[in-house]
Amino acid sequence: MASKEATVYIVDCGSTMGEKSHGRPQSNLDWALEYVWDKITTTVANGRKTALAGVVGLRTDGTENLLDSEEDYAHITVFQELGQVLMPQLRKLRQELVVSQTEDGDAMSALIIAIQMIVSTCKKLQYQRRIVLVTDGRGTMQADDLADITSKLKEDNIDLVVLGVDFDDAEYGFKEEGTDETKAENEAILKQLCDDCGGAYGTLVQAVDELGVPRVKTTKPVPSYRGMLTLGNPEEYDTALAIDVERYPKTMKAAPPSASQFVIRSDMAAGEATQSTQTMDGEEAPNGTNDGLAAVKTARTYQVDDEKAPGGKLDVERDELSKGYEYGRTAVHISESDQIVTLYETSPSFDILGFVDKNQYERYLDMSRSNVVVAQRTNDKASMALSSLIHALYELESYAVARLVMKENKEPRIVLLAPNIEPEFECLYDVELPFAEGVRSYKFPPLDRVVTVSGKVLKVHRNLPNDDLQAAMSDYVDSMDLSTFGQDEEGQPAEYGSMDETYSPMLHRINQVVKHRAVYPDTDPPPPYEILTRYSQPPSELLKAAQPALSRVIKCADVKKVPPKARGRRYGRKEAPKPLSELDVSALLAQDPKRSNKQARIDPKNAIPEFKQLLQTSEELPQLQSACGQLKTIIFDWIKHSVGDSGYGRAVEAIRVMREEMAEMDIAAPYNDVLRELQAKLLGGELGGERKEMWYRVRVNRLGLLLAKECEGGVSEEEGKAFLSAAPAAATSK
Amino acid sequence: MSESSNYGHGEEDDDDEEEVADEAGYKTSKDAVLFAIDVSESMLTKPEDSNPKKRDTMLSPTVAALKCAYALMQQRIISNPNDMMGILLFGTEKSKFQAGDAETGRGGLQYPHCYLLTDLDVPAAADVKQLRSLVEDDDEAADLLVASKEEVSMANVLFCANQIFTTKAPNFSSRRLFLVTDNDYPHASSRDARNSAAVRAKDLYDLGVTIELFPISHPDRGYTFDRSKFYNDIVYSATPSDPDAPMPLTVDIKPASSTAKDGISLLQSLLSSVASRSAPRRALVNNLPFEIGPGLKISVKCFILFKRQEPKRTSYIYLPPDSDKPQIAVGSSTLVADDTARSVEKVEVRRAYKFGGETISFTVEELAKIKHFGDPVLRIIGFKPMSMLPIWANLKPLTFCYPSEEEFIGSTRVFSALHQKLLKDKKMALAWYIPRKNATPALAAIIPGAESRSEEGEQQVPPGLWIKPLPFADDIRQAPDINLVTAPDPLTDAMRVIVQQLQLPKAIYDPRKYPNPSLQWFYRILQALALEEDLPEAAEDKTLPRWKQIHKRAGGYVVGWGEVLDEQFREWQRGHEKHIKPTANGAAKRTKAEPASSGGGAGAKKVKAEDGGEGVTDADMRDAYAKDALSKSLVADLKAWLVGKGLKGVGKKAELVDAVTKYFETKMDVD
Repeated sequence: MASKEATVYIVDCGSTMGEKSHGRPQSNLDWALEYVWDKITTTVANGRKTALAGVVGLRTDGTENLLDSEEDYAHITVFQELGQVLMPQLRKLRQELVVSQTEDGDAMSALIIAIQMIVSTCKKLQYQRRIVLVTDGRGTMQADDLADITSKLKEDNIDLVVLGVDFDDAEYGFKEEGTDETKAENEAILKQLCDDCGGAYGTLVQAVDELGVPRVKTTKPVPSYRGMLTLGNPEEYDTALAIDVERYPKTMKAAPPSASQFVIRSDMAAGEATQSTQTMDGEEAPNGTNDGLAAVKTARTYQVDDEKAPGGKLDVERDELSKGYEYGRTAVHISESDQIVTLYETSPSFDILGFVDKNQYERYLDMSRSNVVVAQRTNDKASMALSSLIHALYELESYAVARLVMKENKEPRIVLLAPNIEPEFECLYDVELPFAEGVRSYKFPPLDRVVTVSGKVLKVHRNLPNDDLQAAMSDYVDSMDLSTFGQDEEGQPAEYGSMDETYSPMLHRINQVVKHRAVYPDTDPPPPYEILTRYSQPPSELLKAAQPALSRVIKCADVKKVPPKARGRRYGRKEAPKPLSELDVSALLAQDPKRSNKQARIDPKNAIPEFKQLLQTSEELPQLQSACGQLKTIIFDWIKHSVGDSGYGRAVEAIRVMREEMAEMDIAAPYNDVLRELQAKLLGGELGGERKEMWYRVRVNRLGLLLAKECEGGVSEEEGKAFLSAAPAAATSK
Repeated sequence: MSESSNYGHGEEDDDDEEEVADEAGYKTSKDAVLFAIDVSESMLTKPEDSNPKKRDTMLSPTVAALKCAYALMQQRIISNPNDMMGILLFGTEKSKFQAGDAETGRGGLQYPHCYLLTDLDVPAAADVKQLRSLVEDDDEAADLLVASKEEVSMANVLFCANQIFTTKAPNFSSRRLFLVTDNDYPHASSRDARNSAAVRAKDLYDLGVTIELFPISHPDRGYTFDRSKFYNDIVYSATPSDPDAPMPLTVDIKPASSTAKDGISLLQSLLSSVASRSAPRRALVNNLPFEIGPGLKISVKCFILFKRQEPKRTSYIYLPPDSDKPQIAVGSSTLVADDTARSVEKVEVRRAYKFGGETISFTVEELAKIKHFGDPVLRIIGFKPMSMLPIWANLKPLTFCYPSEEEFIGSTRVFSALHQKLLKDKKMALAWYIPRKNATPALAAIIPGAESRSEEGEQQVPPGLWIKPLPFADDIRQAPDINLVTAPDPLTDAMRVIVQQLQLPKAIYDPRKYPNPSLQWFYRILQALALEEDLPEAAEDKTLPRWKQIHKRAGGYVVGWGEVLDEQFREWQRGHEKHIKPTANGAAKRTKAEPASSGGGAGAKKVKAEDGGEGVTDADMRDAYAKDALSKSLVADLKAWLVGKGLKGVGKKAELVDAVTKYFETKMDVD
């Protein structure tokens, strides 16, 4: 569990903070607040009751603090006592932290107040204590108590962070020219203070810059297995080897926060609720109802087939149901007490099956997130024993394969164990391997040769690179080498884009915008931090150097985009597909009196083939319209006579085929007309009553109008979207 | 409107955080297989030179085909639970079509000598049973498997199949007719009849049904199946006529021999032919743009070749009061507002994040923009040696990708050039990877995979590139703190011999040899329950180590290693005599040595945790158990000990005592 923490922010609100310096668009206070809000909202986002924050305003118009009777403590306001900060407090702070009319107020006094706040709240308990002072250093300061403050900070183990607006910082490389005297003096005092108490002193620009580097949450390791790693069976043989080990996660996907679903409360007008965070009282309300939103729940209903029931389905209540399994489409009921029979009984174990060659191991077998296996902590002998296995594997360039049962009756898994040796740390990394059932035998032709239909093996073929392309690709790959393109802390060449300097874009992006909106509810979300998209493109410097090689690859590769559509069958008719014998089936079809073109009627039983065959001989718009019209009649008929949803599948298929064929013909009208008519009839209840489900299927199968980008005469994307989202006029909610 | 989700559930419904992956855009990505099995005199004749000792070789081709269908049905219930299957016999004396038509009596007249044994559907237990009794009970087979005296019309057979697919499997992305026959020239005397069949075959083609032919030859009768007589008019192939075109991925099936030449029975060869076709290949992502460098884009298709198969989740079952036939209840979800319980349209729903006790909400458009990191792409940003990819850098199974010419002509040659270069130099690419619209972006390693073939020349793993999403800094956990005691060289040497003794065959892990024991057990039980068979008694577990072999091959070395360990550890302790370790409460404790072979393991080289302070030892607990004094132990000790054994250490004291007792009752043989 993360430790408890208490942080007091002292924010300088003096009138000088209202200035805009160094060409920045916002006032110094707003700029400083960027940092402060980020820190506070990060704490809020944690949602931990043990993460306390307090806020003290320095050089405020008013005065409100523990010692406010004393003159030295004037113009210092405690806006927020140490406590968990939630949205109401955040909103209140936003209104309070504004530039004042005064220049009076002593930063040292504010520090003393902050120390007091921490001392009285945290007492002697285990807390991480911290005071963050953000100031432009232009107020007057009394440096007399400096020594006392230093010793008090040290005594109470309080970290001090001082961030100055445009303070000089040699380390970061910032120097303000023409700093006024008071400020220079104050800077010196604050620096001295930080040096004395071991605090951090820095210039604000650095702190704001660093906000763009996401913080990584650390999680306390929790073992997923504790027990023996064995080789051989200690229960049966006296020659078995067993080492006490513990297994911890090494990688684990850090998921972005997930959004919950809400709707605008029905007693709210739509306009009222758009300001979603607008509430006056500070009370916490469940389900977010105080911001005009109601939570959305999922209600599940259950149906079973019943010939006697209307629509062929019978509604059943959840508590009428019991648990079981599906075997094919057969329900297999397993009573509660029998559940256990399907369970394969196992007991916890970690057995080595044997060893494999590291160099023959294919990385595509990696199945899961990885774990780290170490000797039981506090067990030195086990540590030594495991170390011998780790070193032996390492020296032999081998991995172990083991069967792991983490807990009683958990399914066995096969894992690969790979040795890892660092100066002060040794372990086995494990990653799961696939079982036989997990392998799908899809076959693909070789990539370095072409085996032809006639059985020849070709080395030269349009699907194979020629020597020029091969050479150019080789140069390109070599010139885009990232292994030394980055820099380490000493500025030495290092790996570029190593895993520890890449951050989950979605995770931090969502955190970023949520925090931003909490503070600035009325502004658009800011652009993503640069680091989140840094690795979405090759580094431009490297690319510049590799450009000649790349150009050669492009030239040799001669890749051509397939034109959007081999422009409509209407213009260059594709040949009708033929069977292996190349028998001219079209000729046979033409002989068939029922199918010959002129008076052809599509047989509803064989609708799709005959529709396609009809199109083979149709070119003119009226013919196409007639063909689509015939299929339309059949589709409507299926829907009209559908018992429940029995005819929907065929209808959807026919609509799909019509859409595909018209797209291929590069003409939208015949299909779009049919679809519009279908929609009107479905939603108007003209096809045998309530057919919402059918329309729903059209929607989920994305069988919308043909779009302009798909073929000639199609509609715009907006129109297509609007058409699909049309809801039944008289939607009756159950 | 209610968001009914009784189909496509789980895919469409995935909280639309991520756009669903779908096959051809908007078809139900399911597979329907209809077996059409010829029942003629010659198909019913058992091979002459069959070996009576091998039952397999005694089968007539029809029965072998049925057995094959039976095996496939059982297998698909497990591997493709949503896919459909049906069996149509043709050339039978009897005729039967779909149940609905039985009432009108039309079925038989419509498709004479076609007998729809199992209608196309997700198989039910009854279907499996029916099929089993047909292949196992000769009487039943004798009754049904009678060849008709007149020739069945192939046009009719094909149209019958057409109607079955049309009505039972509409809008399926994959519909296949598996045709098993030994007659290469039906309607030998009627060109018209053959032509009608060709027309009906074209109908099937236009319907999107693929015909897979499983031809059978009879070498014992000097008969070889010749496709060119008839079936080449029926079967369509995606292969272009260009003789230099690459061979299709699946080659035509060679005629199976009805006799057991080379020891391979007809059944086996049918099974393997069917197995090679059993799973339709489904792409995870179609035509993903693969940007190798700015201005160089090709397209690839992505596939899942390795996936963890999980046992089925439980379903809700309805037991009707008036019948003993349990039914599957189909659930559907409706969104309702919490305040008024009114149902909610999907378009009304907003997304909001919980924050500081309230919610922070965004409009749908805003959220879409926030989450948008660009269009789907696999974009290389540079290359690194494979050695820079640590073994632990993994989160989930890898995705296989293979070039596609559908979007960019020339994709294959560029892909091939890259593949060969990466393989040769053992390099990988680092890439920005957005697999689908609005998917979470990842940084991925693209690693080359060589083709691997079995000794028989069968492709085991295809050649291609593998996409391995890498963990971000956020996904990497801290290592636990440890007190490292490095093994001295003599100990490592002793271990090295052991490792060398116990290499797996060919020093590789072959997943095909390790079926998942839990999964196998689960489905064996489920099948037994569904078919009302006796429950199997013991499971077969091929993942258990070969203990006897380990004992034989390495046992002696392990004992040797154990002695070295004891010796080296004693030495290490002498060097660390002063090693005093403060514990959390400030008290000091000495790391104490442990007798070399502790526990009851009769000399097993167990390396145990030190005693004292850390809880009770096995010996203590066993003692307490023997003296029936477990109830006098502390709850904390019982819990700690149980957890140490990987058992559940929760519950009241009595339950804990029970758990410990149970443990020793089953482990008594050890002492």
